[in-house]
Amino acid sequence: MGVRDFDLIQGTLDLLVLKCLGTGANHGYGIALRIHQLSDDALRIEEGSLYPALYRMEEQGLIESEWGVTENNRRAKFYSLTRKGRAVADAELDSWRRLSKAVTRVLRGLEQGA
Amino acid sequence: MDQEMAFHIDAMTREYVRSGMSEADAARAARKRFGSTFRHKEAGHDTRSGHLDELVQDVKSGLRQLTGAPTFAVVAAITLALGIGVNAAVFAVVKSALLDALPYTDADRLVRVYGGARAQLQRGPLSAGTISDIRERQRSLASLSAFMDVVIDAVFGSDSGPQVARMAWVEHNFFDTLGVSAARGRVFRREDALSGLTPLTGGILAPDAPSAVMLTYSGWTRLFGGDEAVLGRDVRVNGIPRHVIGVLPSNYVGPMGAVDFYFAFDLGPVLGNVIVARGSQWLGGVGRLKPGVAHETARDEIAAIWTDLVREFPADNRALGLATVPLREAMIGNTRTPLLVLMASAGLVLFITCANLAGALLSRALSRRKEFAVRAALGAGRGRLVRQLLTESVVLAVTGGVAGVVIASVTLDRLGQFAARALPGYVTLSLDWGAVIVIGGVAIATGLLFGAAPALSIERSQAQSAVRDDSRGASESRRSLRLRGVLVAGQMALCLSLLVGAGLLTRSLWAMTGQSLGFEPNGVLTAALQLPLRDYATPESRALFRTRLEEELRGLPGVTAVATATSIPTAVRQRSGVTLEGAPSSGGQTFVIMAAVSDDYFRTLQIPLHQGRTFGTQDLPNTPTKLVISESMARRFWPDGNAIGQRIGLGPNPQAPLNEIVGIVGDVRNDRARPDAEPMAYASTRQNGAPIVTILVRADGDPLALARPMERAVAGLDSGIALQRVMTMPVVLGEGIAGRRLPVLLMTGFGVLALLLATVGVYAMFASLAAAREREFGIRLALGSRPGAIAALVLRQGAGWMVAGLAVGAVGIVVVVRLVRDLLYNVSPFDPVTLGASVAVLVACATIALLIPVRRATRVDAAVALRAQ
Repeated sequence: MGVRDFDLIQGTLDLLVLKCLGTGANHGYGIALRIHQLSDDALRIEEGSLYPALYRMEEQGLIESEWGVTENNRRAKFYSLTRKGRAVADAELDSWRRLSKAVTRVLRGLEQGA
Repeated sequence: MDQEMAFHIDAMTREYVRSGMSEADAARAARKRFGSTFRHKEAGHDTRSGHLDELVQDVKSGLRQLTGAPTFAVVAAITLALGIGVNAAVFAVVKSALLDALPYTDADRLVRVYGGARAQLQRGPLSAGTISDIRERQRSLASLSAFMDVVIDAVFGSDSGPQVARMAWVEHNFFDTLGVSAARGRVFRREDALSGLTPLTGGILAPDAPSAVMLTYSGWTRLFGGDEAVLGRDVRVNGIPRHVIGVLPSNYVGPMGAVDFYFAFDLGPVLGNVIVARGSQWLGGVGRLKPGVAHETARDEIAAIWTDLVREFPADNRALGLATVPLREAMIGNTRTPLLVLMASAGLVLFITCANLAGALLSRALSRRKEFAVRAALGAGRGRLVRQLLTESVVLAVTGGVAGVVIASVTLDRLGQFAARALPGYVTLSLDWGAVIVIGGVAIATGLLFGAAPALSIERSQAQSAVRDDSRGASESRRSLRLRGVLVAGQMALCLSLLVGAGLLTRSLWAMTGQSLGFEPNGVLTAALQLPLRDYATPESRALFRTRLEEELRGLPGVTAVATATSIPTAVRQRSGVTLEGAPSSGGQTFVIMAAVSDDYFRTLQIPLHQGRTFGTQDLPNTPTKLVISESMARRFWPDGNAIGQRIGLGPNPQAPLNEIVGIVGDVRNDRARPDAEPMAYASTRQNGAPIVTILVRADGDPLALARPMERAVAGLDSGIALQRVMTMPVVLGEGIAGRRLPVLLMTGFGVLALLLATVGVYAMFASLAAAREREFGIRLALGSRPGAIAALVLRQGAGWMVAGLAVGAVGIVVVVRLVRDLLYNVSPFDPVTLGASVAVLVACATIALLIPVRRATRVDAAVALRAQ
């Protein structure tokens, strides 16, 4: 998942997309924009990664899509979480938190030891 | 899916606009950022869309692809168009000349029998006796027919005044032997052949009395406007009434070349004349093999008969040779080598086209790797991608092909204008559609094989990494880099071979035209006329006309010298055997070319007199014939320098009075393709009454201004005589060399074309290489590398491939030299000037092509390059 400043750990894009959709249905551009803004411009999702991920997750039944109209009256494909997707998102978030907590702990310990 | 992408781009554009970009910039930036992905609808797993829909999509997408990358599209289409165009044009000519059937029934069963001086290895004429003996003794031919192997001019009387027409004499069974029947009326029968004739100087048979005329299709349309009621019509040829018995089919062309009409003759009276029967060679022979008889059988049998004839008639035949060759070979003549050279050159251009196209497609495919990867990731099947690529190539092929056909037609049209004289008469210059398709197909297939195939080697499983790789600006793989290098080196090698070939031929032409002919052609106007034997029956009447004509012409304004002769220099056809006084009759052991000239001939053409005198009033008719000979003839027969005063016999008749040599003049080269002058003897027109008069007038200023006054002067003497072939001497010389000029012009054209294509190829490769490494250069610059070092980096890479190309080119040169060796004149096959110049030109062009991308690379703005991705 190509990012300019950080590499996303494998699987993180899925988590970000799923959690992003947790707050409501959105289109591909909206998802990318949201993540970009929330990360204070640190994360930028490449379209070449985003759309393949969206299609994959739709196929896995984590998200579903339907055509809708944006606030600017443009037709766009809106993605929303399925029940299965919500469950997977929660599980993923849980494991991410554990992972990041563990990594943070290790790093803090190493820094203090140094 | 497409809509979804479009929406994304649209949203992004608006975002950019909000941040202060102009509408257009924003849209471009959004597209660029998105890559070309948005432009493609993915069939993906969507099985609902039919194949037809897909095809339409592919074609549309292909067009979009090409218009979206104008440089690539233009380079590829032009390359393809040129490759297809020149190849189709040349192939059309070569096919017509070397492959298509001659316009005769079962043409591969026809043979041509040649005679000629053995020492000169020429395809020359036969004597009537030889033809008649072969006809009686042979068993392998169903028929053998004689014809006069020259086209002569005749005056065709029409309502609008006399017109000059080309004609030839044939035996009555000539058309039956060729298997040609008349399109209208009938062909000759035995009773059409007039008896009592003998050959005179200059290709004239006397008496000029045949009454039946057979028109060729071109003669029918030219002289009669294609009038259907022409059969049986009375016409006047050379002032004598005759009637038309038939018209030949439109595709017919005789072995003697294009003519307007034919007369029939009978060899009987000639055979009855002991002197000319075997002593005078003036006939061509064409025969048809019996069914089941091989060419070799006939050739061996006729050769055996000839051996007998040499033994039986040693005086006449000892110095002569004889050859039987298939008629096609005879008619192709010496154009075979130039044609093969042309075909080979065109083939090389095609190779370069293929290499160029492959390089272009490869670059294109590489730059689209990301697009393919994304689409593969999105679920596009591999077959779908292949189909897409194929459709794009077909779109390209159609574009290039259409332009190529246009180029081919234009080329053929131009060829028709200046090459027609240099090609065998039966050649038709029309486009061969099969060739167009095959050539286009070959070019596209090569392009796909080398260019597009690597793009498809991206496996689906690698799609993710491909997407990532590219987004990080990785440089291209080693393998495809090498492939591109090989393509460029190959182009340079082929191009070098072509340039050397073209250079050698050009040098030959220069040598040929640059070397003095032995006279001064500039400022001379020539024309010819023929005195009708009916009105000018005696030598005295012909001499009187000549004298009066010369006087009239001398009076014209601007004229400084006037001469008449039996032929113009460089076009002397008559050859006579030489017998020295006192020596046993050698039967024409050595032949010299002969012409009869007027007193002022040498002065008019500025041929220097070395010894003795030229002709004058003392050379009266009915006195011993005087001769002026050329320097090389004097050297050949009297190396001690005592030629003046010697007496020689000329021609077949041993009883003929001897001729005394009175002068020696400078050599004139009759055949420009030969560096040495043939020995030549001149007789005086005062003592020779040929009915053909060639006029040579030297003038101050533009000689062509004399054309009208000259025509009026002739009409003033005799209104029934038409002036023919009014041309300046330089134009005559240019026509004589047309056959030599054609391959030079075309091969030089191909060389330039190849150079252009190769230069574009080199440029395209290094431009895309440099573009791919832009980020790397940016980093280098940012780290403090000097621009010069970066230039050196690219140049080194380019120079490597260039050297490889030149090295392989050396092999190509050897092949090309072997091919053109026969066409060279006064130039060594490995001429250092040509080699050096070719290499220099090629390297210069390639270097320029290389320097443009290098220059761009060194101007990379480090910050921009780094941010670009």
